[in-house]
Amino acid sequence: MNSYYLIAAAVLLVEIGPLLIFSVRAKPEDGLVALNVGSDIATLVLLLLAAGTGREPFFDLAIVSAVLSFAGGLAYARFLERWL
Amino acid sequence: MSATDILVISLLAFGVAMELTSVLGILVGADIYARLHFTGPASTFTPLALAVAVAIQYWVFSQAGVKAAITAVLIILLGPALVHATARAARVRQKGELE
Repeated sequence: MNSYYLIAAAVLLVEIGPLLIFSVRAKPEDGLVALNVGSDIATLVLLLLAAGTGREPFFDLAIVSAVLSFAGGLAYARFLERWL
Repeated sequence: MSATDILVISLLAFGVAMELTSVLGILVGADIYARLHFTGPASTFTPLALAVAVAIQYWVFSQAGVKAAITAVLIILLGPALVHATARAARVRQKGELE
């Protein structure tokens, strides 16, 4: 187990907090920006947790999260543009 | 502490600092376009620095190194597309149409 990665993951997790509060309180399109960066951070936290614990198969979670967060953000953007 | 450890710690610190810069920029940005501008470091420098740190620690062509590189490339390539879609949605919401 490598503690550097886990410390970096913990700091990144802390950074999600302000983004979460901002995305709830701000206008929908501003909140979407915070959501996109928050999902990027979540992907990188998964990457760091996999590296920190030394479980190499867990890196797959970060890859899946990167693809799905893009698809989710795109879907939100389209909904904001047309219906919300 | 070896030279590899120092390099890895430096890359991790750089990546986390870039992410923090982006978060602060999003929180204090004047409008949505300024906020979108500040997503740049979070979707380029941070994944690159973290993937390089993992590749140095685990070796580039190990399972971990390759998967970290794939993750970083996905974030770096897909981030601008998401920024474009978000800016387009914001423009349509503000002006009623794209043009």
